[in-house]
Amino acid sequence: MLVERTAILRRDKVGPTMKGLDAMGLGAMTLTTVNGRGLQGGNVMTDIDREVPAEYESVSKIVNHLTPASFALAHSLTRPVFWIPKRMIQIVVPVSMKNEVIDLIMSVNRTGWMGDGKIFVSPIGESVRIRTGERGTDSVL
Amino acid sequence: MMKMVRAIVRPEKENDVVLALEAKGFPALTKTHVFGRGKQKGITVGPIHYDELPKVMLMIVTEDESVPVIVDVIQKAAFVGYEGDGKIFVSPVTESYTIRTGAKAE
Repeated sequence: MLVERTAILRRDKVGPTMKGLDAMGLGAMTLTTVNGRGLQGGNVMTDIDREVPAEYESVSKIVNHLTPASFALAHSLTRPVFWIPKRMIQIVVPVSMKNEVIDLIMSVNRTGWMGDGKIFVSPIGESVRIRTGERGTDSVL
Repeated sequence: MMKMVRAIVRPEKENDVVLALEAKGFPALTKTHVFGRGKQKGITVGPIHYDELPKVMLMIVTEDESVPVIVDVIQKAAFVGYEGDGKIFVSPVTESYTIRTGAKAE
């Protein structure tokens, strides 16, 4: 039984993350350059905008607080939609190693500021190593 | 349970889709520029055959009950009516973690 872990990370944290995974014996991963935006709609100023009351829930904050993107929508502008460059790593691991990997990624990547990223876990139906035809757990370890 | 919605849309419709999703309260997503082709095997313009067409893939992870809304919004915003409008795929996600807080959602 295998699971895929998709982690969306800061660009400068990929190196340390890879080192940590190497130390666990997981050298294999797929790395993609992506752009993303979180609950702040890509507005990196939200975090230092002291006019937004701290007790606002994140979702209501977006609805009530004018971000550049919601302003553009209200005025029928196609820009700006803010994107923040990120790296996405995808690793397929056996279920037994899932929690260690998540702990490692969390500890390496946590800065405490927004934009630290997300980890998604999803099931993998089948896995084949093309060179040898191995299937299942053998194909990823 | 959560689902990952992956929408492959026309690059020129990216802004429309993102703004429409944000208006419905789904501001968080990831995009990748991808190349692909559909069942028409690309496009032929005169003597030139384009095998790989540029597209934008949008990834949104959301609660199960939001999936129909998101699919509907993307479908309306990305619609042109010609071949090449794209696809929407929905796949299961068992867990999601916010790295900043360590919060887990299932």
